[in-house]
Amino acid sequence: MQALAAIFWKGVKHHVRYPGEFVIFLLLPFLFTFLILGMGTAIAGGNASTYFAARTGTTNIVIYEILGSAVWMTSWVVIEDVGTAIRDEQIKGTLEQNFLAPVRRFTLLVGLSLTDVVITAALFLVVVGVSVAVVLPSGFLTIIPAFLTLLLGLIPLFGIGFLFAGFVVRFKEPYIFIQIINLVFATLTGTYYPVTFLPYWVQLLSGVLPQTYVIEDMRRIVIANQTLVNLYGSVFILLALALAYPILGYAVFRRIEKRASVTGEFSKY
Amino acid sequence: MNSRNISYSSRLIEEFKASFLKDLRSYFRYPAWVIGEFLSTPLWFFFFALGVTLFAPVASTTSENGPSTGFSYFFFGFLFIILFSTSVWGVGQSVRNEQESGTLEQFFLAPANHATLILGRWARIFMTDALIIGYITLLLYFIGGTTVAILNPPLFLLSVGLYELSLIGFGLFMAGLTIRIKAYNSIGNAIFFGYMIFTGALFPINVLPQPIRYFSMLIPFTYLNDLMRHAALGTTMILPETWEYVVSVLAAVGMLIIGFVAFNMIEQNARVKGSIATS
Repeated sequence: MQALAAIFWKGVKHHVRYPGEFVIFLLLPFLFTFLILGMGTAIAGGNASTYFAARTGTTNIVIYEILGSAVWMTSWVVIEDVGTAIRDEQIKGTLEQNFLAPVRRFTLLVGLSLTDVVITAALFLVVVGVSVAVVLPSGFLTIIPAFLTLLLGLIPLFGIGFLFAGFVVRFKEPYIFIQIINLVFATLTGTYYPVTFLPYWVQLLSGVLPQTYVIEDMRRIVIANQTLVNLYGSVFILLALALAYPILGYAVFRRIEKRASVTGEFSKY
Repeated sequence: MNSRNISYSSRLIEEFKASFLKDLRSYFRYPAWVIGEFLSTPLWFFFFALGVTLFAPVASTTSENGPSTGFSYFFFGFLFIILFSTSVWGVGQSVRNEQESGTLEQFFLAPANHATLILGRWARIFMTDALIIGYITLLLYFIGGTTVAILNPPLFLLSVGLYELSLIGFGLFMAGLTIRIKAYNSIGNAIFFGYMIFTGALFPINVLPQPIRYFSMLIPFTYLNDLMRHAALGTTMILPETWEYVVSVLAAVGMLIIGFVAFNMIEQNARVKGSIATS
Protein backbone atom coordinates (compact mmCIF):
# COMPACT_ATOMS: atom_id res chain seq x y z
CA MET A 1 0.00 0.00 0.00
CA GLN A 2 2.86 2.38 0.86
CA ALA A 3 4.48 1.72 -2.50
CA LEU A 4 1.17 2.28 -4.26
CA ALA A 5 0.65 5.57 -2.42
CA ALA A 6 4.21 6.68 -3.26
CA ILE A 7 3.77 5.96 -6.97
CA PHE A 8 0.40 7.67 -6.93
CA TRP A 9 1.78 10.84 -5.28
CA LYS A 10 4.77 10.88 -7.61
CA GLY A 11 2.37 10.95 -10.57
CA VAL A 12 0.20 13.65 -9.00
CA LYS A 13 3.29 15.79 -8.29
CA HIS A 14 4.40 15.43 -11.89
CA HIS A 15 1.04 16.71 -13.14
CA VAL A 16 1.03 19.56 -10.63
CA ARG A 17 4.57 20.54 -11.66
CA TYR A 18 3.52 20.86 -15.33
CA PRO A 19 0.05 22.43 -15.13
CA GLY A 20 0.25 23.62 -18.75
CA GLU A 21 -0.35 20.08 -20.04
CA PHE A 22 -3.46 19.72 -17.91
CA VAL A 23 -4.78 23.10 -19.00
CA ILE A 24 -4.36 22.05 -22.64
CA PHE A 25 -6.29 18.84 -21.98
CA LEU A 26 -9.01 20.96 -20.37
CA LEU A 27 -9.23 23.34 -23.31
CA LEU A 28 -8.99 20.83 -26.16
CA PRO A 29 -12.53 19.38 -25.77
CA PHE A 30 -14.01 22.88 -25.99
CA LEU A 31 -11.83 23.83 -28.94
CA PHE A 32 -12.58 20.66 -30.91
CA THR A 33 -16.30 21.02 -30.18
CA PHE A 34 -16.19 24.63 -31.32
CA LEU A 35 -14.42 23.63 -34.54
CA ILE A 36 -16.96 20.91 -35.34
CA LEU A 37 -19.82 23.29 -34.55
CA GLY A 38 -18.27 26.04 -36.68
CA MET A 39 -17.71 23.76 -39.64
CA GLY A 40 -21.20 22.28 -39.27
CA THR A 41 -22.79 25.73 -39.14
CA ALA A 42 -20.81 26.77 -42.21
CA ILE A 43 -22.14 23.78 -44.12
CA ALA A 44 -25.74 23.66 -42.93
CA GLY A 45 -26.32 27.33 -42.06
CA GLY A 46 -29.48 27.83 -39.99
CA ASN A 47 -30.49 24.18 -40.45
CA ALA A 48 -27.46 22.80 -38.63
CA SER A 49 -29.37 21.50 -35.61
CA THR A 50 -32.16 20.04 -37.79
CA TYR A 51 -29.76 17.98 -39.92
CA PHE A 52 -27.79 17.06 -36.82
CA ALA A 53 -30.94 15.86 -35.05
CA ALA A 54 -31.97 13.79 -38.06
CA ARG A 55 -28.77 11.76 -37.66
CA THR A 56 -28.25 11.73 -33.92
CA GLY A 57 -31.73 12.14 -32.44
CA THR A 58 -30.83 15.30 -30.52
CA THR A 59 -30.59 18.99 -31.26
CA ASN A 60 -28.21 19.50 -28.36
CA ILE A 61 -25.07 19.65 -30.47
CA VAL A 62 -22.80 21.09 -27.78
CA ILE A 63 -23.49 18.42 -25.14
CA TYR A 64 -23.40 15.62 -27.72
CA GLU A 65 -19.97 16.70 -28.96
CA ILE A 66 -18.50 17.75 -25.62
CA LEU A 67 -19.25 14.31 -24.12
CA GLY A 68 -17.40 12.66 -27.00
CA SER A 69 -14.52 15.14 -26.66
CA ALA A 70 -14.25 14.65 -22.89
CA VAL A 71 -14.10 10.86 -23.14
CA TRP A 72 -11.55 11.14 -25.95
CA MET A 73 -9.35 13.39 -23.81
CA THR A 74 -9.54 11.09 -20.79
CA SER A 75 -8.58 8.19 -23.02
CA TRP A 76 -5.73 10.31 -24.45
CA VAL A 77 -4.43 11.07 -20.94
CA VAL A 78 -4.54 7.41 -19.88
CA ILE A 79 -2.91 6.01 -23.01
CA GLU A 80 -0.23 8.71 -22.99
CA ASP A 81 0.51 8.46 -19.26
CA VAL A 82 0.42 4.70 -18.78
CA GLY A 83 1.70 3.88 -22.28
CA THR A 84 4.74 6.12 -22.12
CA ALA A 85 5.47 5.83 -18.38
CA ILE A 86 8.07 3.09 -18.80
CA ARG A 87 9.66 4.87 -21.75
CA ASP A 88 9.86 8.14 -19.80
CA GLU A 89 11.62 6.36 -16.94
CA GLN A 90 13.93 4.78 -19.52
CA ILE A 91 14.83 8.18 -21.00
CA LYS A 92 15.32 9.76 -17.57
CA GLY A 93 17.53 6.85 -16.54
CA THR A 94 15.34 5.98 -13.54
CA LEU A 95 13.77 2.78 -14.86
CA GLU A 96 16.44 0.48 -13.41
CA GLN A 97 16.05 2.02 -9.93
CA ASN A 98 12.29 1.55 -10.11
CA PHE A 99 12.57 -2.02 -11.29
CA LEU A 100 15.19 -2.85 -8.66
CA ALA A 101 12.95 -1.58 -5.86
CA PRO A 102 11.09 -4.34 -4.01
CA VAL A 103 7.81 -3.40 -5.65
CA ARG A 104 5.75 -5.57 -7.98
CA ARG A 105 5.38 -4.38 -11.56
CA PHE A 106 1.64 -4.60 -11.19
CA THR A 107 1.77 -2.16 -8.25
CA LEU A 108 3.83 0.20 -10.39
CA LEU A 109 1.28 0.15 -13.20
CA VAL A 110 -1.72 0.38 -10.87
CA GLY A 111 -0.13 3.32 -9.02
CA LEU A 112 0.25 5.15 -12.32
CA SER A 113 -3.33 4.33 -13.19
CA LEU A 114 -4.61 5.69 -9.88
CA THR A 115 -3.00 9.04 -10.62
CA ASP A 116 -4.86 9.08 -13.90
CA VAL A 117 -8.16 8.35 -12.15
CA VAL A 118 -7.73 11.65 -10.30
CA ILE A 119 -6.59 13.55 -13.39
CA THR A 120 -9.33 12.22 -15.66
CA ALA A 121 -11.98 12.75 -12.97
CA ALA A 122 -10.93 16.39 -12.70
CA LEU A 123 -10.91 16.67 -16.49
CA PHE A 124 -14.38 15.17 -16.78
CA LEU A 125 -15.90 17.20 -13.96
CA VAL A 126 -14.57 20.50 -15.30
CA VAL A 127 -15.30 19.91 -19.00
CA VAL A 128 -18.62 18.09 -18.75
CA GLY A 129 -19.71 19.71 -15.47
CA VAL A 130 -19.26 23.24 -16.82
CA SER A 131 -20.85 22.42 -20.18
CA VAL A 132 -23.91 20.72 -18.68
CA ALA A 133 -24.31 23.45 -16.06
CA VAL A 134 -24.36 26.11 -18.79
CA VAL A 135 -26.17 24.38 -21.65
CA LEU A 136 -28.42 21.87 -19.89
CA PRO A 137 -28.74 22.95 -16.24
CA SER A 138 -31.86 20.85 -15.68
CA GLY A 139 -29.82 17.72 -16.36
CA PHE A 140 -26.91 18.62 -14.11
CA LEU A 141 -27.37 15.66 -11.76
CA THR A 142 -27.08 13.23 -14.67
CA ILE A 143 -23.35 13.85 -14.64
CA ILE A 144 -23.15 11.55 -11.59
CA PRO A 145 -24.22 8.34 -13.41
CA ALA A 146 -22.26 9.58 -16.44
CA PHE A 147 -19.18 9.85 -14.26
CA LEU A 148 -19.76 6.33 -12.91
CA THR A 149 -19.80 5.10 -16.52
CA LEU A 150 -16.51 6.86 -17.10
CA LEU A 151 -14.97 5.23 -14.02
CA LEU A 152 -16.11 1.81 -15.19
CA GLY A 153 -14.71 2.53 -18.65
CA LEU A 154 -11.35 3.56 -17.21
CA ILE A 155 -10.60 0.02 -15.97
CA PRO A 156 -10.39 -1.58 -19.45
CA LEU A 157 -8.64 1.57 -20.67
CA PHE A 158 -5.88 1.02 -18.13
CA GLY A 159 -5.58 -2.52 -19.46
CA ILE A 160 -5.08 -1.08 -22.95
CA GLY A 161 -2.51 1.29 -21.42
CA PHE A 162 -0.58 -1.70 -19.96
CA LEU A 163 -0.64 -3.27 -23.41
CA PHE A 164 0.91 -0.16 -24.97
CA ALA A 165 3.43 0.14 -22.15
CA GLY A 166 4.67 -3.27 -23.25
CA PHE A 167 4.71 -2.38 -26.95
CA VAL A 168 6.59 0.82 -26.22
CA VAL A 169 9.30 -1.10 -24.36
CA ARG A 170 9.62 -3.33 -27.40
CA PHE A 171 9.30 -0.86 -30.27
CA LYS A 172 10.37 2.49 -28.71
CA GLU A 173 9.13 5.70 -30.47
CA PRO A 174 6.12 6.04 -28.14
CA TYR A 175 4.91 9.51 -29.04
CA ILE A 176 4.00 9.02 -32.68
CA PHE A 177 2.65 5.57 -31.80
CA ILE A 178 0.42 7.05 -29.08
CA GLN A 179 -0.75 9.83 -31.42
CA ILE A 180 -1.87 7.34 -34.05
CA ILE A 181 -3.55 5.11 -31.46
CA ASN A 182 -5.42 8.07 -29.99
CA LEU A 183 -6.60 9.11 -33.44
CA VAL A 184 -7.69 5.58 -34.27
CA PHE A 185 -9.60 5.43 -30.98
CA ALA A 186 -11.23 8.79 -31.65
CA THR A 187 -12.30 7.68 -35.11
CA LEU A 188 -13.58 4.26 -34.06
CA THR A 189 -15.40 5.17 -30.86
CA GLY A 190 -17.81 7.74 -32.27
CA THR A 191 -16.30 10.77 -30.60
CA TYR A 192 -18.17 13.22 -32.83
CA TYR A 193 -20.70 10.98 -34.58
CA PRO A 194 -22.63 7.77 -33.93
CA VAL A 195 -20.55 4.65 -34.64
CA THR A 196 -23.33 3.52 -37.01
CA PHE A 197 -21.81 6.05 -39.43
CA LEU A 198 -18.84 3.76 -39.86
CA PRO A 199 -18.72 0.79 -42.25
CA TYR A 200 -20.00 -2.43 -40.72
CA TRP A 201 -16.59 -4.10 -40.40
CA VAL A 202 -15.21 -1.00 -38.68
CA GLN A 203 -18.12 -1.12 -36.23
CA LEU A 204 -16.91 -4.57 -35.19
CA LEU A 205 -13.62 -2.97 -34.15
CA SER A 206 -15.52 -0.20 -32.35
CA GLY A 207 -17.36 -2.90 -30.40
CA VAL A 208 -14.19 -4.05 -28.63
CA LEU A 209 -13.23 -0.56 -27.43
CA PRO A 210 -14.59 0.53 -24.05
CA GLN A 211 -14.80 4.20 -25.03
CA THR A 212 -17.49 3.34 -27.60
CA TYR A 213 -19.83 2.22 -24.81
CA VAL A 214 -18.81 5.00 -22.43
CA ILE A 215 -19.55 7.73 -25.00
CA GLU A 216 -22.84 6.16 -26.10
CA ASP A 217 -24.02 5.56 -22.51
CA MET A 218 -23.09 9.06 -21.42
CA ARG A 219 -25.05 10.57 -24.28
CA ARG A 220 -28.07 8.46 -23.37
CA ILE A 221 -27.78 9.37 -19.69
CA VAL A 222 -27.19 13.12 -20.06
CA ILE A 223 -29.19 13.90 -23.19
CA ALA A 224 -31.92 11.23 -23.22
CA ASN A 225 -32.31 10.98 -19.41
CA GLN A 226 -31.79 7.23 -19.31
CA THR A 227 -30.50 5.46 -16.21
CA LEU A 228 -27.67 2.98 -15.76
CA VAL A 229 -30.30 0.31 -15.15
CA ASN A 230 -31.78 0.93 -18.61
CA LEU A 231 -28.32 0.58 -20.07
CA TYR A 232 -27.51 -2.71 -18.35
CA GLY A 233 -26.47 -4.35 -21.63
CA SER A 234 -23.58 -2.01 -22.29
CA VAL A 235 -22.73 -1.90 -18.56
CA PHE A 236 -22.24 -5.68 -18.66
CA ILE A 237 -20.08 -5.36 -21.75
CA LEU A 238 -17.99 -2.73 -19.97
CA LEU A 239 -17.64 -5.04 -16.96
CA ALA A 240 -16.49 -7.85 -19.24
CA LEU A 241 -13.97 -5.54 -20.94
CA ALA A 242 -12.86 -4.34 -17.49
CA LEU A 243 -11.93 -7.92 -16.71
CA ALA A 244 -10.43 -8.87 -20.07
CA TYR A 245 -8.20 -5.88 -20.92
CA PRO A 246 -6.25 -5.57 -17.66
CA ILE A 247 -5.52 -9.33 -17.68
CA LEU A 248 -4.51 -9.29 -21.34
CA GLY A 249 -2.58 -6.02 -21.03
CA TYR A 250 -0.64 -7.11 -17.97
CA ALA A 251 0.14 -10.54 -19.47
CA VAL A 252 1.53 -8.92 -22.63
CA PHE A 253 3.47 -6.36 -20.59
CA ARG A 254 5.03 -9.08 -18.39
CA ARG A 255 5.98 -11.16 -21.40
CA ILE A 256 7.66 -8.25 -23.19
CA GLU A 257 9.28 -7.11 -19.94
CA LYS A 258 10.76 -10.56 -19.26
CA ARG A 259 12.08 -10.73 -22.79
CA ALA A 260 13.53 -7.23 -22.47
CA SER A 261 15.30 -8.23 -19.25
CA VAL A 262 17.02 -11.09 -21.10
CA THR A 263 17.91 -9.15 -24.26
CA GLY A 264 18.94 -5.96 -22.45
CA GLU A 265 16.24 -4.02 -24.28
CA PHE A 266 15.64 -1.73 -21.29
CA SER A 267 18.96 0.00 -21.68
CA LYS A 268 18.39 0.83 -25.34
CA TYR A 269 16.72 4.00 -26.52
CA MET B 1 31.00 44.12 -57.67
CA ASN B 2 28.98 41.90 -59.95
CA SER B 3 31.12 38.83 -59.35
CA ARG B 4 30.96 39.50 -55.60
CA ASN B 5 27.17 39.48 -55.83
CA ILE B 6 27.24 36.22 -57.76
CA SER B 7 29.56 34.56 -55.26
CA TYR B 8 27.37 35.78 -52.37
CA SER B 9 24.29 34.36 -54.08
CA SER B 10 25.96 31.04 -54.83
CA ARG B 11 27.16 30.85 -51.21
CA LEU B 12 23.61 31.41 -50.02
CA ILE B 13 22.36 28.71 -52.36
CA GLU B 14 25.04 26.32 -51.07
CA GLU B 15 24.09 27.09 -47.47
CA PHE B 16 20.43 26.59 -48.25
CA LYS B 17 21.17 23.30 -50.01
CA ALA B 18 23.27 22.07 -47.08
CA SER B 19 20.59 23.04 -44.59
CA PHE B 20 17.87 21.36 -46.67
CA LEU B 21 19.87 18.13 -47.04
CA LYS B 22 20.71 18.10 -43.33
CA ASP B 23 17.04 18.38 -42.45
CA LEU B 24 16.06 15.75 -44.99
CA ARG B 25 18.61 13.33 -43.50
CA SER B 26 17.38 13.98 -39.96
CA TYR B 27 13.81 13.45 -41.13
CA PHE B 28 14.46 10.08 -42.73
CA ARG B 29 16.61 8.94 -39.81
CA TYR B 30 13.41 8.33 -37.84
CA PRO B 31 11.22 6.23 -40.15
CA ALA B 32 8.57 5.75 -37.44
CA TRP B 33 7.93 9.50 -37.54
CA VAL B 34 7.72 9.50 -41.33
CA ILE B 35 5.22 6.63 -41.35
CA GLY B 36 3.37 8.20 -38.42
CA GLU B 37 3.03 11.52 -40.23
CA PHE B 38 1.69 9.84 -43.36
CA LEU B 39 -0.81 7.83 -41.31
CA SER B 40 -1.96 10.41 -38.79
CA THR B 41 -2.61 13.28 -41.22
CA PRO B 42 -5.32 11.47 -43.25
CA LEU B 43 -6.72 10.07 -40.00
CA TRP B 44 -7.22 13.61 -38.66
CA PHE B 45 -8.91 14.48 -41.94
CA PHE B 46 -11.32 11.53 -41.96
CA PHE B 47 -12.07 11.92 -38.28
CA PHE B 48 -13.18 15.54 -38.63
CA ALA B 49 -14.83 14.93 -42.00
CA LEU B 50 -17.08 12.28 -40.42
CA GLY B 51 -17.97 14.69 -37.61
CA VAL B 52 -18.91 17.41 -40.07
CA THR B 53 -20.98 14.98 -42.17
CA LEU B 54 -23.61 15.04 -39.41
CA PHE B 55 -24.53 18.55 -40.49
CA ALA B 56 -24.68 17.99 -44.22
CA PRO B 57 -28.05 17.75 -45.98
CA VAL B 58 -26.44 17.38 -49.38
CA ALA B 59 -22.85 18.14 -50.26
CA SER B 60 -23.28 21.87 -50.59
CA THR B 61 -22.39 24.96 -48.63
CA THR B 62 -24.44 28.04 -48.00
CA SER B 63 -24.90 30.37 -50.94
CA GLU B 64 -22.73 33.09 -49.41
CA ASN B 65 -19.74 30.85 -49.93
CA GLY B 66 -20.19 30.76 -53.69
CA PRO B 67 -20.39 27.65 -55.85
CA SER B 68 -18.20 25.49 -53.68
CA THR B 69 -19.06 22.17 -52.19
CA GLY B 70 -18.95 21.59 -48.45
CA PHE B 71 -16.39 18.86 -48.94
CA SER B 72 -14.02 21.05 -50.97
CA TYR B 73 -14.37 23.84 -48.42
CA PHE B 74 -13.34 21.45 -45.68
CA PHE B 75 -10.58 19.91 -47.81
CA PHE B 76 -8.93 23.27 -48.43
CA GLY B 77 -9.31 24.15 -44.76
CA PHE B 78 -7.39 21.03 -43.94
CA LEU B 79 -4.74 21.93 -46.51
CA PHE B 80 -4.29 25.34 -44.86
CA ILE B 81 -3.86 23.66 -41.50
CA ILE B 82 -1.20 21.28 -42.81
CA LEU B 83 0.70 24.21 -44.30
CA PHE B 84 0.29 26.40 -41.24
CA SER B 85 1.56 23.68 -38.95
CA THR B 86 4.77 23.94 -41.02
CA SER B 87 5.22 27.41 -39.69
CA VAL B 88 4.45 26.69 -36.07
CA TRP B 89 5.75 23.16 -35.51
CA GLY B 90 8.30 22.95 -38.27
CA VAL B 91 10.04 26.24 -38.93
CA GLY B 92 9.35 27.72 -35.51
CA GLN B 93 10.60 24.71 -33.66
CA SER B 94 13.80 24.33 -35.70
CA VAL B 95 15.80 26.56 -33.37
CA ARG B 96 14.39 24.79 -30.33
CA ASN B 97 15.36 21.40 -31.76
CA GLU B 98 18.94 22.56 -32.33
CA GLN B 99 18.93 24.03 -28.83
CA GLU B 100 17.81 20.72 -27.31
CA SER B 101 20.27 18.70 -29.39
CA GLY B 102 23.04 21.01 -28.20
CA THR B 103 24.03 21.93 -31.78
CA LEU B 104 22.75 25.50 -31.90
CA GLU B 105 26.03 27.06 -30.81
CA GLN B 106 27.97 25.20 -33.54
CA PHE B 107 25.45 26.36 -36.09
CA PHE B 108 25.56 29.97 -34.98
CA LEU B 109 29.37 29.91 -34.94
CA ALA B 110 29.51 28.71 -38.55
CA PRO B 111 30.20 31.42 -41.17
CA ALA B 112 26.71 30.99 -42.65
CA ASN B 113 23.53 33.02 -42.79
CA HIS B 114 21.47 31.95 -39.80
CA ALA B 115 18.18 32.23 -41.58
CA THR B 116 19.31 29.45 -43.94
CA LEU B 117 18.85 26.94 -41.11
CA ILE B 118 15.23 27.91 -41.02
CA LEU B 119 14.79 28.17 -44.78
CA GLY B 120 16.31 24.73 -45.29
CA ARG B 121 13.89 23.27 -42.82
CA TRP B 122 11.00 25.15 -44.42
CA ALA B 123 11.91 23.69 -47.83
CA ARG B 124 12.06 20.15 -46.45
CA ILE B 125 8.71 20.53 -44.70
CA PHE B 126 7.14 22.13 -47.76
CA MET B 127 8.27 19.12 -49.78
CA THR B 128 6.86 16.59 -47.30
CA ASP B 129 3.66 18.64 -46.88
CA ALA B 130 3.17 18.59 -50.65
CA LEU B 131 3.68 14.81 -50.67
CA ILE B 132 1.17 14.34 -47.83
CA ILE B 133 -1.42 16.59 -49.49
CA GLY B 134 -0.96 14.76 -52.81
CA TYR B 135 -1.24 11.41 -51.08
CA ILE B 136 -4.45 12.39 -49.25
CA THR B 137 -5.94 13.70 -52.50
CA LEU B 138 -5.19 10.38 -54.20
CA LEU B 139 -6.54 8.46 -51.21
CA LEU B 140 -9.80 10.41 -51.37
CA TYR B 141 -10.07 9.69 -55.07
CA PHE B 142 -9.49 5.95 -54.64
CA ILE B 143 -11.76 5.61 -51.59
CA GLY B 144 -14.73 7.70 -52.63
CA GLY B 145 -13.99 8.85 -56.19
CA THR B 146 -13.77 12.42 -54.85
CA THR B 147 -11.80 14.87 -56.95
CA VAL B 148 -10.61 18.29 -55.92
CA ALA B 149 -10.80 20.87 -58.71
CA ILE B 150 -9.10 24.28 -58.73
CA LEU B 151 -11.05 26.94 -60.60
CA ASN B 152 -8.23 29.40 -61.22
CA PRO B 153 -4.84 27.59 -61.13
CA PRO B 154 -2.59 30.64 -61.81
CA LEU B 155 -4.27 32.67 -59.06
CA PHE B 156 -4.13 29.66 -56.77
CA LEU B 157 -0.38 29.25 -57.35
CA LEU B 158 0.12 32.95 -56.70
CA SER B 159 -1.90 32.77 -53.50
CA VAL B 160 0.01 29.68 -52.33
CA GLY B 161 3.25 31.58 -53.03
CA LEU B 162 2.08 34.54 -50.95
CA TYR B 163 0.92 32.21 -48.20
CA GLU B 164 4.29 30.46 -48.13
CA LEU B 165 6.12 33.81 -47.91
CA SER B 166 4.00 34.73 -44.94
CA LEU B 167 4.62 31.30 -43.40
CA ILE B 168 8.40 31.77 -43.68
CA GLY B 169 8.06 35.18 -42.03
CA PHE B 170 5.81 33.87 -39.30
CA GLY B 171 8.03 30.81 -38.85
CA LEU B 172 11.09 33.07 -38.41
CA PHE B 173 9.19 35.09 -35.84
CA MET B 174 8.21 31.89 -34.02
CA ALA B 175 11.81 30.64 -34.21
CA GLY B 176 12.92 33.87 -32.57
CA LEU B 177 10.25 33.37 -29.95
CA THR B 178 11.68 29.96 -29.07
CA ILE B 179 14.99 31.62 -28.22
CA ARG B 180 13.22 33.91 -25.76
CA ILE B 181 10.41 31.72 -24.47
CA LYS B 182 11.10 28.12 -23.56
CA ALA B 183 7.49 26.96 -23.04
CA TYR B 184 7.07 26.75 -26.79
CA ASN B 185 4.52 23.94 -26.88
CA SER B 186 1.84 25.84 -24.99
CA ILE B 187 2.28 28.96 -27.14
CA GLY B 188 2.40 26.86 -30.30
CA ASN B 189 -0.85 25.12 -29.37
CA ALA B 190 -2.57 28.40 -28.57
CA ILE B 191 -1.51 29.94 -31.90
CA PHE B 192 -2.45 26.82 -33.82
CA PHE B 193 -5.96 26.68 -32.39
CA GLY B 194 -6.30 30.44 -32.75
CA TYR B 195 -5.47 30.04 -36.43
CA MET B 196 -8.06 27.29 -36.92
CA ILE B 197 -10.82 29.27 -35.23
CA PHE B 198 -10.23 32.91 -36.13
CA THR B 199 -8.76 32.98 -39.64
CA GLY B 200 -11.56 31.28 -41.56
CA ALA B 201 -9.39 28.24 -42.20
CA LEU B 202 -12.05 25.61 -41.53
CA PHE B 203 -15.19 27.73 -41.65
CA PRO B 204 -15.95 31.22 -42.99
CA ILE B 205 -15.50 34.05 -40.54
CA ASN B 206 -19.13 35.08 -41.02
CA VAL B 207 -20.00 32.10 -38.79
CA LEU B 208 -18.26 33.88 -35.89
CA PRO B 209 -20.10 36.44 -33.72
CA GLN B 210 -19.71 40.04 -34.92
CA PRO B 211 -17.08 41.32 -32.42
CA ILE B 212 -14.87 38.25 -32.99
CA ARG B 213 -15.20 38.77 -36.74
CA TYR B 214 -13.49 42.16 -36.40
CA PHE B 215 -10.65 40.46 -34.58
CA SER B 216 -10.40 37.91 -37.41
CA MET B 217 -10.15 40.72 -39.93
CA LEU B 218 -7.06 42.02 -38.15
CA ILE B 219 -5.18 38.76 -38.78
CA PRO B 220 -3.24 38.69 -42.08
CA PHE B 221 -3.78 34.94 -42.51
CA THR B 222 -7.54 35.53 -42.80
CA TYR B 223 -7.00 37.27 -46.18
CA LEU B 224 -4.42 34.76 -47.40
CA ASN B 225 -6.76 31.86 -46.61
CA ASP B 226 -9.61 33.70 -48.24
CA LEU B 227 -7.62 34.40 -51.40
CA MET B 228 -6.51 30.78 -51.76
CA ARG B 229 -10.03 29.52 -51.26
CA HIS B 230 -11.40 32.06 -53.73
CA ALA B 231 -8.82 30.97 -56.31
CA ALA B 232 -9.63 27.30 -55.77
CA LEU B 233 -13.40 27.33 -55.25
CA GLY B 234 -14.61 30.72 -56.38
CA THR B 235 -15.92 31.66 -52.94
CA THR B 236 -16.96 35.25 -52.25
CA MET B 237 -14.07 37.36 -51.00
CA ILE B 238 -14.10 39.18 -47.67
CA LEU B 239 -12.89 42.46 -49.22
CA PRO B 240 -13.54 43.90 -52.69
CA GLU B 241 -11.35 41.96 -55.15
CA THR B 242 -8.65 44.59 -55.76
CA TRP B 243 -8.38 45.37 -52.08
CA GLU B 244 -8.04 41.70 -51.23
CA TYR B 245 -5.10 41.32 -53.65
CA VAL B 246 -3.40 44.42 -52.24
CA VAL B 247 -3.95 43.38 -48.62
CA SER B 248 -2.75 39.81 -49.31
CA VAL B 249 0.48 40.97 -51.00
CA LEU B 250 1.16 43.51 -48.25
CA ALA B 251 0.41 40.91 -45.57
CA ALA B 252 2.75 38.32 -47.11
CA VAL B 253 5.65 40.71 -47.76
CA GLY B 254 5.12 42.48 -44.45
CA MET B 255 5.16 39.24 -42.48
CA LEU B 256 8.31 38.10 -44.26
CA ILE B 257 10.14 41.34 -43.46
CA ILE B 258 8.89 41.45 -39.87
CA GLY B 259 9.89 37.80 -39.41
CA PHE B 260 13.46 38.40 -40.60
CA VAL B 261 13.87 41.56 -38.57
CA ALA B 262 12.38 40.04 -35.41
CA PHE B 263 14.51 36.90 -35.68
CA ASN B 264 17.74 38.92 -36.12
CA MET B 265 16.87 41.27 -33.28
CA ILE B 266 16.02 38.46 -30.86
CA GLU B 267 19.14 36.54 -31.87
CA GLN B 268 21.39 39.58 -31.31
CA ASN B 269 19.75 40.24 -27.99
CA ALA B 270 20.19 36.60 -26.94
CA ARG B 271 23.89 36.74 -27.89
CA VAL B 272 24.40 39.72 -25.63
CA LYS B 273 22.52 38.13 -22.75
CA GLY B 274 24.06 34.70 -23.31
CA SER B 275 20.66 33.03 -23.50
CA ILE B 276 20.97 31.42 -26.95
CA ALA B 277 21.77 27.95 -25.73
CA THR B 278 19.67 27.98 -22.57
CA SER B 279 17.15 25.23 -22.92
